[in-house]
Amino acid sequence: MPGSQLKRLKASLKDQGIIGPQKSKKERRKNAQDQNGKGDKRLQRSEALEGIREQFNPFQFKTNARGPKFEVTTNKPANDKTSKGISGRPGVAKSIGEERRRQTLLVEMQRRNKVGGIIDRRFGENDPNMTLEDKMIERFTREQQRSHKRGGMFDLEDDVEEMAELTHAGKIIAFDEEMAMKDDFDGEDMSSDGESDSSHAARRKLKRFRADQADAGDAVGEEDDGQPDKKKTKQEIYSEIMAKSKLHKYERQAAKEEDGELRAELDKELPELQALLFQRGKPQSKEVKGAVIAGVDKAALDKDYDIRVKQLAAGKRAQPAERTKTEEEVVKEESERLKELEEKRQKRMRGGYDGSDDEEVGEDEGKPSNKIAVRAGRGFNPADAVDEDDEDEFGLGKGIKVRPTATELGFDDEDDFLIDDDLVASGAELELDSDDMDSEGGDEDGSDIEPNSDDDEFTKGILTEAEAKNPPIFKASSGKQGDDEDGIPYTFPCPQTHVEMLAAFEGLDITELPVAVQRIRALYHPKLDSGNKERLGNFAQALVRHVAYLGDNFEPHWFPALESLLRHIHSLAKSFPIEVSKGYRAIIQEMEQDRPLGLTVGDLVLLTGIGTTFPTSDHFHQVVTPAVLSIARFLGQKIPQNVADYATGTYLSILAIQYQQFSMRYVPELMNFCLNTLCALAHEKPREAFGLFPLHEPAAGIRIKRATQTPIRKLNCAECRSEHVTTLSAAEETSLKVAILSTTTSILKTAAETWSGAAAFYETFTPAVRVLDHLTSKANSAHLPPTLVVQIRSASAFIKELLEQARLARRPLELHHHKPLAIRTFVPKFEDSFDPTKHYDPDRERAEMAKLKAEHKRERKGAMRELRKDAHFMARENLRVKKERDTAYEKKYKRLVSEIQGQEGQAANEYEREKAKRQQKKDRAKAQR
Amino acid sequence: MPAVVMDTAVMSSAPKRKRQENGKETKKRRKSAGDDEELDVDEEKSQIEILTAEIFESRKHYNNIATLIGLMKEQDEDTHTALAAAESLCRVFIRLLALGSLVRKRDASEKGATVTIWLRERLAEYQDALAALLQKTGTAHRALLLAMVLLKAEAQHINDKEEASFPRGSFSRIVTAVLESPAEELLLVFDQDWVSEFDDIRFYALQEIKVYLTGRDQPVHEIVRDRIFDLLIGIEDVPGSSEELEDFYIDRPNKKKHALYSLTQHKKQAQEAWIALMNLGLSKDQRKQVLESMAGSIAPWFTKPELLMDFLTDCYNSGGSLSLLALSGVFYLIQERNLDYPSFYTKLYSLLDADILHSKYRSRFFRLLDQFLASSHLPAVLVASFIKRLARLTLNAPPSAVVAIVPWFYNIFKKHPLCTFMMHRVPRTQEERDLLQSEGFSDPFLPDEVDPMETHAIDSCIWEIVQLQSHYHPNVATIAKIISEQFTKQSYGLEDFLDHSYSSLIEAEMSKDVKKAPVVEFMIPKRIFTKVDSAAEESDSLLVSLWDFGSS
Repeated sequence: MPGSQLKRLKASLKDQGIIGPQKSKKERRKNAQDQNGKGDKRLQRSEALEGIREQFNPFQFKTNARGPKFEVTTNKPANDKTSKGISGRPGVAKSIGEERRRQTLLVEMQRRNKVGGIIDRRFGENDPNMTLEDKMIERFTREQQRSHKRGGMFDLEDDVEEMAELTHAGKIIAFDEEMAMKDDFDGEDMSSDGESDSSHAARRKLKRFRADQADAGDAVGEEDDGQPDKKKTKQEIYSEIMAKSKLHKYERQAAKEEDGELRAELDKELPELQALLFQRGKPQSKEVKGAVIAGVDKAALDKDYDIRVKQLAAGKRAQPAERTKTEEEVVKEESERLKELEEKRQKRMRGGYDGSDDEEVGEDEGKPSNKIAVRAGRGFNPADAVDEDDEDEFGLGKGIKVRPTATELGFDDEDDFLIDDDLVASGAELELDSDDMDSEGGDEDGSDIEPNSDDDEFTKGILTEAEAKNPPIFKASSGKQGDDEDGIPYTFPCPQTHVEMLAAFEGLDITELPVAVQRIRALYHPKLDSGNKERLGNFAQALVRHVAYLGDNFEPHWFPALESLLRHIHSLAKSFPIEVSKGYRAIIQEMEQDRPLGLTVGDLVLLTGIGTTFPTSDHFHQVVTPAVLSIARFLGQKIPQNVADYATGTYLSILAIQYQQFSMRYVPELMNFCLNTLCALAHEKPREAFGLFPLHEPAAGIRIKRATQTPIRKLNCAECRSEHVTTLSAAEETSLKVAILSTTTSILKTAAETWSGAAAFYETFTPAVRVLDHLTSKANSAHLPPTLVVQIRSASAFIKELLEQARLARRPLELHHHKPLAIRTFVPKFEDSFDPTKHYDPDRERAEMAKLKAEHKRERKGAMRELRKDAHFMARENLRVKKERDTAYEKKYKRLVSEIQGQEGQAANEYEREKAKRQQKKDRAKAQR
Repeated sequence: MPAVVMDTAVMSSAPKRKRQENGKETKKRRKSAGDDEELDVDEEKSQIEILTAEIFESRKHYNNIATLIGLMKEQDEDTHTALAAAESLCRVFIRLLALGSLVRKRDASEKGATVTIWLRERLAEYQDALAALLQKTGTAHRALLLAMVLLKAEAQHINDKEEASFPRGSFSRIVTAVLESPAEELLLVFDQDWVSEFDDIRFYALQEIKVYLTGRDQPVHEIVRDRIFDLLIGIEDVPGSSEELEDFYIDRPNKKKHALYSLTQHKKQAQEAWIALMNLGLSKDQRKQVLESMAGSIAPWFTKPELLMDFLTDCYNSGGSLSLLALSGVFYLIQERNLDYPSFYTKLYSLLDADILHSKYRSRFFRLLDQFLASSHLPAVLVASFIKRLARLTLNAPPSAVVAIVPWFYNIFKKHPLCTFMMHRVPRTQEERDLLQSEGFSDPFLPDEVDPMETHAIDSCIWEIVQLQSHYHPNVATIAKIISEQFTKQSYGLEDFLDHSYSSLIEAEMSKDVKKAPVVEFMIPKRIFTKVDSAAEESDSLLVSLWDFGSS
């Protein structure tokens, strides 16, 4: 831009259109026409001017010394002013500060060393918005109001307000405050002499004061409205209050009446509504109608109505009946349910929930001490968690949901039992589809009874008969024992302990026990009496013990009865899982403490029962785990002394493998025992070790001899008793040995089948093959029946084949395809929004302290700057005042000097003139002379 | 005064004879009547008292000593009299010793010397009689007490020196008698009251035992040997330093450098006694006992434990549980005494046989094994052999053993990362993969190889542990899973896993009360024991098909 500052100013003004050539009249008129744009234009103009001003005064802004910074992402400017690099306006700030000082400091300065003064408190004096006239009017009204308020000449109350406006130093002196002070004064100094008098007076004053306060409180409402604060009398106030409350009451009554009308209307419509709701409710509706008509007490009616509604809501008939499902639907539902159950079982088998393994390892890390116990605890919990899940849909929960509808409505309704029978029948119908279910769910035994009807199967017997018409509880209380055609009593006491049970079942044949149990279960059904639940629980426990007892003293023909009893226990376990498992656990405990290596037949029966009652595939189970442990303990630690021990071990081996049929868990002890048995019974002692299983030298006479003619048979429970075995003849014993060999071979075969997928199958079963081959070697096979040799050979061949498959399928282990763990780093984390001006002090306290210090410093600097500026200002002012004074003095002085000089000049002039005059005169005189 | 002595001897013979008669009489009488016996015993007692009192009165009655000794010796069955006599004699001798009557004095007259010699002879005779009493069951305990009391007096007064000197000869007689005595508990009492109590008694007793064992021509009887063994095993608390040697029965010797003050001398005695015993040979049970208490009470006595080397190596080589027990001793010698035991690890490897995990020394062995394989400088091949062998063993092991082995594996894998190939081996080349596909993978491990360096175990994998991940016991299965988890933990504390058993495992399960209802099998099986009726139903369960429940 060329030219001087002035020229540039002109140019820019012209640019903005502020100055320009004279506008023509036409244009001016046009401008005037769009009046609305006028304000805008003025604004624009002033803005433009402001801009130009800023542009032409570079010292008005504080800018960065090296110009504005380059724009980078991190220092994005907060507003556009800073974007231009302007960081402050010193001129403006200075002028503001100057102005403020002039208002405060200067005034103070001027008032320094001065006393007194008048503060003008006249109304509206400082209000610039009021005209003089307004002020005058306002002042007049105020005065008038004040004088008007005065009610009575001698109204003391009024006086107080009148007397207000006593001020001191411009502040109103509170009267009560003064009074309080006076009180204090009284209390402190005049307590001795004038106490009674002064305190009395004070009290009176206080009383009055309080009354005032109360009145004021009453009148607050009116006063707030800005109305003239006219005092109401108490009478007025009370009457007003009463009127108000009456009004409210009336309003409430009116509303109530309205509601009542509405309700009556609804009530009239109720019969129709009810008729709509259910067709059969006619008599009731009539009743209701009658009630309405009769105008019976409304409250009673309402209550009735409420009760009825509740009944309707809770009533069975009100609930929508389940749609009759088609056969396919039923089957599908059933299979889905089974699938779900199987999934749950799988989950439990894996150890409860998926994360369990990780967690347990984590647990290891945390608490290595008392590890096993802790682990067991962990194993316990997931199972419990599952329990909770299951209880909703599993076993008990559903069983109650379906059946109580029958039972709850009472035993007087015999139809319900018919329905139960139907249910059983429907279960039988399901047989057709059992294959389907099994293929999908792989269900346990393929039992095709519908599970929910299991209980019915056990309890129905007695009750479905004609006697069911009489409530069984009644029969029990009648105390008369009627026996059926088999001589089994219909009623029993509910045995709570095993001793009681023995007494109760005395005289009954064992085969009749299931019927008796069934009757007891029906008699003491939990729905019949509140105490029955506990009774049946104890009964279940006693029954478990009784089964063990019966097992110990068994007869071969008892087994169907025992089976039935075990199934009863199973069914009871669904309702009383805790009691039954406690019963089982108690027996396991006894087993472990008294006879860990001498299990009886009763124990075997119970262990079998556990295997069927509880899911043996669970990762952890409160009953199964100890049971398996005790089986394994026998198999692992027992060194068989006679053939009975081998037989017992064989039974337990079968149980062990049956327990693991689903989960296919490995039981090392089973292999040990089976191989040991085979080696011990073989005629020849093995010359070398076949594997790494510990070999026990058999007792004398165990090795088999000359058994070529012995037929192969199965083992039976009697042979598990050592006292029985000792009475056997040589031929019988040989037969028993052959049976053991045969069974053990089958077990090995089954075990190989079960564990064929195991990782170390090859290592596990190579010794087995060697042992089997040893048995079929010439020296041994000469003493064995040929059929057994064939069996052993086939088993051996079978296992060999599996071994070959296992060898082919074997791969090197690749267990650790884990995501690699990150190496722990000690580099600090990168701060995303790092601000170099900020202090990242990890010590919080120190950081806060530093912050405080910085603030203090800043404040201090600011204050010092202000003080300095104040001082400057004062100095400047002083100087200004002094200069003013000096100039005034100078002026005066000059004026005086000039005045004097003027006077002097005048006098001199006069003198000159006089002199001249005199000279003239003289001259004249001279001249005259 | 020989005459007097002669006189007394003559005189003494009379009452002696009389006593004999009396004794015979009493025997007879005892047979005839019981109530007179008491009277008789009292009579004898009073007579003994009179005799004793006479001895104390004057030297003239010294011959009574001989009478009393005779009384003691001859009372075969009447233990009361014998004991009473023995006690009296003990008192007499203690008094005489205190008076210095038994001390040979240079300036003594001929007569005095004769008396001294005679008294000394009587003392010896008395001690012999006491030894004889020690051989009898009834009197042994009292006799021992008397002998020890007398020993103390003798030690102090047998010489005229101020300092007590230990009467080795008498003590030797006592020790021999105690060892040979059939009396029960005598050895125990001797051990507890004297040997273990007093350092000097122990010192000399050990010395005597050694002399007894070595210095005889005829072989030591088996029973005596057992007794000596019991005695030696019983001596347990080895003094830590010479300062602790302060319990002396006899007054302590004045000499500062006396052998009794030296711990090494004490140890030397014990060591020699042990060696002497071991040279005679120990029974198997005794060996076991020795090995068990080796670290606690035997090895510390040895100043030169190297001397145990032969014993230990013999035991270690003998195999079975004996080797297990010898292990710690051998290791101690290898570690501390630089014993060169060739092929220690081969031997150790051979100990891992089928029975080791079932043995009751399992946890003990594991502690040692952990120690032996703790070094990270062992060749990985060797360590891998141990791992693989143990893994094989776990296939037949009780859960309590598996529980210990798997965490140990973890620790070892951490220490020997080369071995981790046993858990994770990825085939590298396509050929390898093809070969695996076509022929499977046969285990390169040689289970019958004796040398752990040659088993190729490092090329194998621990499928066994993977199989145990589906162990029937939930906790074992979970522990086995740590092998396939990420190895984030530094190591497992082995002690937490070692001492478990079936009963402790069951106890752990049973100690918890059933609070939550356990899951019940939802399907009630139709058949448990009985056979399935028709073909339409499912097949029999395994149990029914293999077992006869009498219902078919």
